[in-house]
Amino acid sequence: MAQAALKDTSVEEFETRQQWWWAAEKKRSGRLDYLRKAIWKKGAIGGLYAPGVKVDLERAQLQTRKARELEFSNDAYVIKFARMIAHILDNKTIFITDHAQLAGYTASLPHTIGWDPSCASILNVEVYNDPTAIPEPADESQKIIQEVNAYWGGKTDLDRMMPVFDMEDLMKMLSGSIGWGVPLARGGYSSKDYEYIMTGKRAFQDIIDELDRKIDEGDEMTHAPGATPETTDMYDKLNNWEAMKITLEAGIRIARRYARLARIIAENFEEDPVRREELLKIAETCERVPAHPPRNLQESFQYDIFIQMMSRTEAIEGAWPSRPDFYHGPYYDKDVNIDHTLTKEEALDLVGEFLIRAAEVCQFKPKWTREGLQGIDGTWVWTIGGVDAHGNDACNDLTIALMQAARLVRVANPTLSFRWHPKVKDEVLREIFECNRQGLGYPNMRNDPVLIANTMHWYGHPIEEARLWANQACLSPCPTTKHGYQPMRMANATANCAKIIEYVLTGGYDKVVNMQVGAETGDVTRFKNFEEFFDAWTMQMKTIFSILVRAVNRARTLAPRLTPRPFLSGISERSIESGMDTFEPSLERGNAWITAFTWVENIDSLAAVKKLVFEEKKYTMAQLKEALDANWEGFEQMRLDFVRNAPKWGNDDDYVDDIMIRCLREAAKFSRELKCPSGNSWPILPENVSGNIHYANIVGALPNGRRLGDALYDGGISPGPGLDKKGPTAVLKSCSKIDHITDGRAFLLNQRLSPTQLAGEKGYQLWKAYIRTWADLGIDHIQFNMIDDATLRAAQKEPEQYQEVIVRVAGYSAHFVDISRKTQDNIIQRTIHGLG
Amino acid sequence: MATCKECKSYFPLEENPDKGDCVRRVVDPRQEYYQSKPVNASDDAVKCASFAKK
Repeated sequence: MAQAALKDTSVEEFETRQQWWWAAEKKRSGRLDYLRKAIWKKGAIGGLYAPGVKVDLERAQLQTRKARELEFSNDAYVIKFARMIAHILDNKTIFITDHAQLAGYTASLPHTIGWDPSCASILNVEVYNDPTAIPEPADESQKIIQEVNAYWGGKTDLDRMMPVFDMEDLMKMLSGSIGWGVPLARGGYSSKDYEYIMTGKRAFQDIIDELDRKIDEGDEMTHAPGATPETTDMYDKLNNWEAMKITLEAGIRIARRYARLARIIAENFEEDPVRREELLKIAETCERVPAHPPRNLQESFQYDIFIQMMSRTEAIEGAWPSRPDFYHGPYYDKDVNIDHTLTKEEALDLVGEFLIRAAEVCQFKPKWTREGLQGIDGTWVWTIGGVDAHGNDACNDLTIALMQAARLVRVANPTLSFRWHPKVKDEVLREIFECNRQGLGYPNMRNDPVLIANTMHWYGHPIEEARLWANQACLSPCPTTKHGYQPMRMANATANCAKIIEYVLTGGYDKVVNMQVGAETGDVTRFKNFEEFFDAWTMQMKTIFSILVRAVNRARTLAPRLTPRPFLSGISERSIESGMDTFEPSLERGNAWITAFTWVENIDSLAAVKKLVFEEKKYTMAQLKEALDANWEGFEQMRLDFVRNAPKWGNDDDYVDDIMIRCLREAAKFSRELKCPSGNSWPILPENVSGNIHYANIVGALPNGRRLGDALYDGGISPGPGLDKKGPTAVLKSCSKIDHITDGRAFLLNQRLSPTQLAGEKGYQLWKAYIRTWADLGIDHIQFNMIDDATLRAAQKEPEQYQEVIVRVAGYSAHFVDISRKTQDNIIQRTIHGLG
Repeated sequence: MATCKECKSYFPLEENPDKGDCVRRVVDPRQEYYQSKPVNASDDAVKCASFAKK
């Protein structure tokens, strides 16, 4: 919008037109407006990075140089790796943006994307082959990339792991048909021991002092008379403790580099006395944290940013498990309500900037990951609300401030995820509603009592720890405690579940990648009844899940030795105490899950086969197979029959809903047979991110009437777009037939609601009653899009006018203009429900 | 030969003046900021496009 038009239109006018993005721009402070517009958009658009965004070659060169230097050192690998991390932190370029009060970024410059060359050669090759992200001059950059790639070939984590995987499993996974990632311990979703590091009881220097004591005791033990197995183990522990110490010390040093930069700017360049004071405050903050525990809100946010920056220097983290109101809330309270050192407006500026600092974080990822996470770099799903360890309401003033700041800065990442429970106050619920009504698509709603029980059921976390959960990625709760947190969830245990039903029909042969991937369940035309068909479905489900889980288990078992994480270990009580790497499976209870992409196609397909083939005998299985082999071409009337005349999930119809329950319970039963290296279960978690679009050309024709190339359903248990004909309550009733504690880990449910109907107080009361029904039905998750079709279609026609429109895609939100046309259409196709 | 030490952007470390930071102001299409990179006082600055003698 032209600046003049923006200036001449009031906030109220924008709000009446539901143009919340323009209203936000007028309402936020000058500082927040500058910082918000300063963000380089890092989320990939159509799988490609935005113009001007470039791969950061500096880190890759620093790491490679240090790795070469250490190649013939006698040090243990964990120490060498820690030295590489320290070298990067000591030598990378750092920056402080004008008007900023917080500092710290994963890569070197604001427009760059971090590239870790030590993770996987397949990633490094993508860097080389991505001309849009290679910095100018391209020839020079290509040469650097070639040199870096030549060094790491055969030496990356994945290269070293490959030979120890089962080759057949590996080929099936890498075919891209059934899974969505690689079994890499330094690439995935890292939960953290926030109870150890974020409660103000200790910080890096305290841990270093503790490590020194441990190292002294261990050293003494290894040199005392005697030789036992404990002595032998101690050598490894000493190496781990030493490596942890190296990274923590480097963490303190880089913070002090930021402090020094802030002082240099203040003393040599800055002429504005107000900004000079701010810079000196930044310096003071970075001298304090992470060495010592924070004393105020700015230090607390800065401390968190440093921890995330260092953790992302050590690994490619695709998620951001966090509980910001719980851990930063006490500092907000102290500054705003007790000491009055910050006004609410000043605090809101800090909170908004905290969201912005997270929004700009990005690490280079392969194209298939970018396609599955359109518009964002990873799922920064921050958990708010909920209860404390004793079951008391944990909401505080920062819970509200986070939602108010989110409406002002309108970033798509991080998004907020609200832990609803019966004690939540009305003022908090109103803030959640307002965020959703203003089109953010977040916070989503999580049913806390259900998920606490679920967390205890699947992994045996004690109730006091289960209550301290934060989303490990989009949806999976994980306690942020000593034995509860999971240091890495690898993305490759993500199953493209539509292949289960597809393989029943093809006897496990994948026609898209031309190889036998699934089980050989025989010629489907010979099945005599639905039970035989369902048995084959069960076998395919077990086969696919097992291939994916075997690889993760193998990688996780080898990770402490082959791919350790000394920094993450260094902020983990269990590693400090034991001297073992954070990946050591015996130190945790386990929190593994299988993400079940494209799940609901199975249900609607099974219902269609049961009804139209086996019960009504309207078509033979041979006819169905012929139609599917032809991708329904030449069988349009038959296809429409399978679409219109077979029961569909989400209409409170027991015929198909019972099939959903049966499938989930088969999977849940098998989840107990699958074991993670910690000895715990592998429950499934149906959701999609943008996988429903990514897999559109990989999943063949299905009995629900879908053709190869059609978008798959969008949510974990969301009905197919336009197929939920009986209204929102019927959707909830179908979903409530699932036992959200024992049938799986969590279940993603997308709903579109009418923004017009939800206007004003009446709208809030309708929504509140709907949420109460949702909670009473024991459903664990729900999220909303409240943008009308007209706005979305206008955004498709004039994207430049609607740059800030945000939509809920799946487990995350994204700017509508940053997602592919196919995903846009898919969101528009979702049924808009009226309430009441 | 021009070295970093002679440049306006060079800020030596108090504890070791042979090492320091190259601190420069940058204006990119979206934001303005100051960047800092560790350098040695004796580093060759002949090819540095940002070199500005003190």
